[in-house]
Amino acid sequence: MTSDRDPSSMTRRQLIRHSAWFGSAVVLTVVGGEVISHIAGSTPKTSQATRPTLRFAQISDSHIGFSGGANPNVADTFTEAINQVNSLGYTPDFVMHTGDLTHLATPAQFDQVKQMLTGLRTPHIFTVPGEHDTGDDAGQKYRQVFGAGTRGDGWYSFDIAGVHVIALVNTVHLPKLGQLGKEQLEWIEKDVAGVSNDTPIIVFSHIPMFAMYPDWGWGTEDAAQALSYLKRFSSVTCLNGHVHQLFTKTEGNVTFYTATTTAYPLPHPGDGPAPKPVTLPAGQLHDALGIREVSYVKGQQALALKEQKLQ
Amino acid sequence: MRLTDVALRLGIAATLAVSGVSHAYLYIHGYRHIPNIGTAFLLQASVCFALAVLLVIGGPAWLRWAAAGLAAGSLVAFALSRSVGLLGFTERGWQPSPHAAISVTAEALTVVLWAVGLLLSRRAAAAQ
Repeated sequence: MTSDRDPSSMTRRQLIRHSAWFGSAVVLTVVGGEVISHIAGSTPKTSQATRPTLRFAQISDSHIGFSGGANPNVADTFTEAINQVNSLGYTPDFVMHTGDLTHLATPAQFDQVKQMLTGLRTPHIFTVPGEHDTGDDAGQKYRQVFGAGTRGDGWYSFDIAGVHVIALVNTVHLPKLGQLGKEQLEWIEKDVAGVSNDTPIIVFSHIPMFAMYPDWGWGTEDAAQALSYLKRFSSVTCLNGHVHQLFTKTEGNVTFYTATTTAYPLPHPGDGPAPKPVTLPAGQLHDALGIREVSYVKGQQALALKEQKLQ
Repeated sequence: MRLTDVALRLGIAATLAVSGVSHAYLYIHGYRHIPNIGTAFLLQASVCFALAVLLVIGGPAWLRWAAAGLAAGSLVAFALSRSVGLLGFTERGWQPSPHAAISVTAEALTVVLWAVGLLLSRRAAAAQ
């Protein structure tokens, strides 16, 4: 009896055998994933049952007063961002605006942004200044509107739900990179002196606290000094604006998250000679804008972040 | 040849397991909260463990190709995260230490062992 089967082709038995190996690989992958998730305490069942201890929203770089092709109406997109925060399905414990509230720091722009922020449904609204808010008067007008209860150039800290929050100002002294300055650095050292090592720390600033792209001023000159005071803490999360795009990096115990904007996108680091507003094709602007949700569950080291595009 | 083949197979399984443990550890200790990267770490670790178990049992040759592909892909992802960024995620140097160095060494060894196995099997086939 002869067979006209190609000797290099797979027999039915071989096919079944390979399928069994492949199926086993898939099953073991799923089982492995479940086991790791369970160990991490992040199985869907657990996360649904565990209500976060702290939930807040971050919005950034609204540039109220900007007028240009990159976004012909920044007030509209800022209103949409506020509405989106109000539609999260819960009331955030606070909302933080990480700077560049205004574009030119005029009294009228500060009035407008202050009015608009009152539309947020949250018990507390916090801000840090961007360089657009402090440029021409070292932040005096900014502090008249948003500086109540702050120290120095407008920095402050507070404790909420077992988390220590530090809001920094690195936009007042701006040779090229952001700068905190001696007085603020001394304050940071004193501020965290009495905080226990296992307390999660959240640091807000406008300019990144890491060297994201120094050629464009996207970094803070004396950030390393500030972060050295936070080395002993098990979890430090730095949240900033300024760069109008999402970016993440981890250095030791510190994780940095840059936020997107509610106004207009900027180029990726090094794309072009300078960070000028980018005009996107029609209909694509909202994909580049957004808000951020942050939650913290007591007992866990890190915060959970969820980015939302502007709808 | 048979002994060398078993040693290479077990070597690939061991290096994969080391990479998987490293990624799983980082996932459990914070990386799960990093958008996209957390899921990628979980998937990398799970597939590493699955392939390592099947390689220890035996399994067809494509398992080694899959192991080498996974290790090479992880190395590329590592390089991207240290240069242009990976899905908006960047890290510097060998941070987090020592896991970055352990993972990279294990993945490089996986690729080397796969390449050695491939070379030996081709030589054996040519000799016959």
